[in-house]
Amino acid sequence: MGVSFTIDPRSGVPIYVQLVEQVKRSVAIGALVSGERLPTVKQLAVDLTVNPNTVARAYRDLEREGVIETSPGRGSFVGGDQPAARRAVTEVSSASFELAVREAKSIGLSRDDVTSIVDKLLARWYGAEASS
Amino acid sequence: MNPIEVNALRKSYGSFDAVVDLSLSVPAGSVCGLLGPNGAGKSSAFKCLTGLARPTSGTIRIAGGPPRPEMFDELAFVPERSALYENLTVDDHLIIARGSFPKYDERRARKMLDIFSLTPKKRVRKLSKGQRTALGLAIAFAMRPNIMILDEPASGLDPIHQRAVLDLIIEAAANGAAILFSSHNVGQVERAADRIAIIKHGNLVLDGELEELREREKIVEAVFPGSVPDERVFRADGRVRTVETRGNVLRLHTIRETDAVVADLERAGATSVTVQPQNLESLFFAAVEQPRPVTLEAD
Repeated sequence: MGVSFTIDPRSGVPIYVQLVEQVKRSVAIGALVSGERLPTVKQLAVDLTVNPNTVARAYRDLEREGVIETSPGRGSFVGGDQPAARRAVTEVSSASFELAVREAKSIGLSRDDVTSIVDKLLARWYGAEASS
Repeated sequence: MNPIEVNALRKSYGSFDAVVDLSLSVPAGSVCGLLGPNGAGKSSAFKCLTGLARPTSGTIRIAGGPPRPEMFDELAFVPERSALYENLTVDDHLIIARGSFPKYDERRARKMLDIFSLTPKKRVRKLSKGQRTALGLAIAFAMRPNIMILDEPASGLDPIHQRAVLDLIIEAAANGAAILFSSHNVGQVERAADRIAIIKHGNLVLDGELEELREREKIVEAVFPGSVPDERVFRADGRVRTVETRGNVLRLHTIRETDAVVADLERAGATSVTVQPQNLESLFFAAVEQPRPVTLEAD
């Protein structure tokens, strides 16, 4: 198995949510590619030392969202549905953004403060914009 | 019907109620963690479940029937202190188990001795407390039971063997067993269980599916630049378990509909509201209403 997942059961974040996010992230960055086989529920539960029903729930969610496909007797595979993978990327990053913006607001930064932070970060990672 | 069903169990010893009102069910493939302070009634409940004590009232169904000797063909019970023969060896105990349990699996038993680092020729009286627990567990898991009731299965074990117990519980559940185990180690329950029951003074104080509880129960912190609303408004709110005010911050423990509570706080003038998840340890302390132990570090 090329990809390993890390779960923090003490964080209070539902474990299936953690797992769903990590699978999506792995698909998004290309660590898991279309058609790649995922470990069975039992195997992943034992590997991560987490409850098997919890792992099964994560797999059900990923299936419903089209990120993975499960066929009886063959196991679970990363789906070939590219829009689902792209949606997954957007979701994973907007969740991190939301957390950061929420935190900024809670410590009292204004909208302008946040905009200026984001602008600086964009300039650093995406290069300077010609205008403005 | 689920392999383990307990309904309104009450167990009194004279005028003392060890268990007042306990209901729980464990479906096949599920692991239920039973938590509670010492004296909460866990061991009394286990005695009733395994037929060692007669319930004062309420019903118990194990594998579809009341507790009965034949249920031990599919049920493995590991009490906190396993009944072992002091003068017999580890091997002798396996021989006894082989004769007593139809589903006993010799190869698996050998593997269990290996996993728990038990020496076959060693006499029980030379075993440490942890090794005694380990022997009880080795025999239980060697049976491949459909139902397991484990009282403090990891107590006295070193961290490596504690993890081994968790792995075995998880593997057994993945193979379809229904498992009920008690533990003082919240971290173990947090990993292995998919449902929990917290009891205090013989009463159920919090139970449910762990992932649902993780999703529902939150800590909400609302910052009020002006005056902080009266705590009492939220004390009377069924969606809120506890409220405290720290300076201009109102801190709530919500048990459901957190999003609606957040909207209410924003309407009441909160400039910022943050929502944090709660782990099982904080749920446990909130449920048994114990202040957290004092730490030496300043908060």
